[in-house]
Amino acid sequence: MRWVVPVTLALALSATPFLLHGPQARANGAMFANGLLPALPVPADNPQTDAKIRLGAQLYFDTRLSADNTISCGTCHDPRTGFVNPNATDTGIKGQVGGRNSGTVINSAYMRYQFWDGRAGALEAQALGPIHNPIEMGETLENVVRKLNAIPGYKEQFQVVFGSDVTTDGIAKAIAAFERSIVSGPSPYDLRLMGDARAMSPAAVRGQHLFNGKAHCTPCHGGPLFSDQSFHNIGAGMDRPDPDLGRMNETKDPADRGRFKVPTLRNIAQTPPYLHTGAEKTLMDVVNFYDRGGIPNSNLDPLMLPLRLTAGEKADLVAFLEALSGPVPTVVIPQFPAGPGPAADPKGGLR
Amino acid sequence: MNRGRILALLGIVVALLACLQRTSSAIPVFARKYGFNCTMCHSSYPRLNDFGVRFRNNGYLLPGHGAIEKTILESPTPLALRTGAGYVFDEFKNVPGAPFQRGFQVVGLDILSAGLLSQKIGYMMIFVPGITEAPGLAGQEASLEMANLVFREIGGSPVSLRAGRFEPAYVAFSVKRHLGDSPYEIYDFSFPGGPAFSETQTGLELRCGTRGPMRAVAGLVQGSGTNRSSDNPQDGYLRLEGVLGAGEGQTAGQRIGLVGYFGRARPDASVAAPNDDAQSFRRYGVDASLNASSVNLGVQYLWGRDNGALWGQGSEATWNGGFAELTVGTDFRAAFLARAEMVNEPSFIDRDLRRYTAGGRYSFEDNVAAHLEYSHQVVNTSAPDDPAEDYFTLRLDMAF
Repeated sequence: MRWVVPVTLALALSATPFLLHGPQARANGAMFANGLLPALPVPADNPQTDAKIRLGAQLYFDTRLSADNTISCGTCHDPRTGFVNPNATDTGIKGQVGGRNSGTVINSAYMRYQFWDGRAGALEAQALGPIHNPIEMGETLENVVRKLNAIPGYKEQFQVVFGSDVTTDGIAKAIAAFERSIVSGPSPYDLRLMGDARAMSPAAVRGQHLFNGKAHCTPCHGGPLFSDQSFHNIGAGMDRPDPDLGRMNETKDPADRGRFKVPTLRNIAQTPPYLHTGAEKTLMDVVNFYDRGGIPNSNLDPLMLPLRLTAGEKADLVAFLEALSGPVPTVVIPQFPAGPGPAADPKGGLR
Repeated sequence: MNRGRILALLGIVVALLACLQRTSSAIPVFARKYGFNCTMCHSSYPRLNDFGVRFRNNGYLLPGHGAIEKTILESPTPLALRTGAGYVFDEFKNVPGAPFQRGFQVVGLDILSAGLLSQKIGYMMIFVPGITEAPGLAGQEASLEMANLVFREIGGSPVSLRAGRFEPAYVAFSVKRHLGDSPYEIYDFSFPGGPAFSETQTGLELRCGTRGPMRAVAGLVQGSGTNRSSDNPQDGYLRLEGVLGAGEGQTAGQRIGLVGYFGRARPDASVAAPNDDAQSFRRYGVDASLNASSVNLGVQYLWGRDNGALWGQGSEATWNGGFAELTVGTDFRAAFLARAEMVNEPSFIDRDLRRYTAGGRYSFEDNVAAHLEYSHQVVNTSAPDDPAEDYFTLRLDMAF
């Protein structure tokens, strides 16, 4: 019976993966395990209420928050196009063109950093930034507060929601509350994780394997949000004569040269174009960008390497990325309260 | 042993593995820690890709991710097993007394542990338990094949130190992580009892340069097994390599390397009196690893110059040899290899060795692969019938 030892060993080893396999095994302490979205993080000093979200939606789409009454938050974060601008970069007041692709609002509530360079943390800190950015909405916060306080409908709502007149803090909190309500529902990836084995196509399943392996995506796009909530230099735009230095502009640390926030990949299929430059128009373009190993520069992330993906593997990877899209709340352009000055754009600033 | 019974049981194993095809994922130490598949670091297990090379050289810590890394106390149990089972045919011709194998076998068992002890110190251990050879079971001697610490970025510099027992950097093409079953003959060649390149060594190794095109590695190791435990380590080596293009030359980029090994060894008891003094020996090597698309061409050539006493000869012994290996990866599941090797032994030995190998691996999942290989070795001599070996295996490799 000398065969007992080797055969038992082989059988035991063969069976081991059954015990260790599955989402739970992956989630059990694995550093970069993806998974289901956790509970929505809500700051203690800004709880979600229906009235506040409705007020936030009005402010989000109200062009009167801009200096020339032409631009709203929704202009560059358009709900019809995944809450991003479908152009490579944004155009603000007076036709001024910004330098970066707009980031999506979808699931931004989960992000530790806002903006590509992470210069804001919470949504409340982010919400005011574009209003007083001279090439975006170009308005001063003082003027916005003054204009909104002159509109009875807003003044009344602020009294109901915050118990005060219009303030910059209230504007920030209301817009943040609206943005925080834009969270994606279960994607095919999530449904598969919850037990629906057929929720993802075979190509997407193969793509997930690549995502976690040969395509080297997970080290930066790990976690339930498919982002490590950090900053990396993948070389995008670094071949330009005067490249955008990204995170370094904020921290002044040379180690952050060319680093940009790792965006969430949830609902990524709905938010072209891609990268902070907006230079990659499709998911396949992005996959090809990574397949080439990014763009060489002195601070390129050491994990950026040519991938040698086959055409079939690239297609599988795109199929997986497409499977990360879940339903997003339908947003209707709200009615805007009338005021003494110019009327708000009834289209909410959408172009 | 009843062959029919083995066949039936092997069938069960194969059936189980086939079931795993759609359900299992990579499990071994690092994959489990990070939640990665094995193909993150391996182009085709066990061969590393560029990502894996950078990870290894960075002391088992993901480059650029130091701030969020977890130590072994914060991550799953850092333990993994490797083994394989399948059919082995190994026949020697014109070698009197050589064993002849033909049948099913479980081949080898390694127990691995690796990870981070702190953000600056990584470790790797491979223990090979002793297994008594029996029909259907390949024997192996117990050994601590690797046990080393890596101190990374010493003093904030790009210098790392590996200490303990490890596979030295003078091995341009890892013996422990190559696709083939059959050995790199030139790495196995040495004077009687001498240190072969294929052996792990105990000592210290300094590596400089993790970014940019140039890397340098220097080491001091225990050296020849013919030395006494009271002998100071006297063997040192230096390796310089340059990488052109993005990558590490493993699956992307083009790598060229130079190596020099300078050692001293006491002659083996089989060729000299017991108390002979240590004698010098040297190795010089040049290697290249060239990549185009999914094809890798690896070339290694080594020259040896040994004091004649190490061979039981009066004059210096010189020898040389090398190999060229072509590896083709179609996608993450399949890889093929073809290799030609030669060893031109010292002139006073009437032998020149040639080996030709071809094979492939198909991964059902990252940690379960079918391995097919044929290798033919012939030793050219002046005798009418040259010794030769034919090796064939069809095996399932597993790592959990």
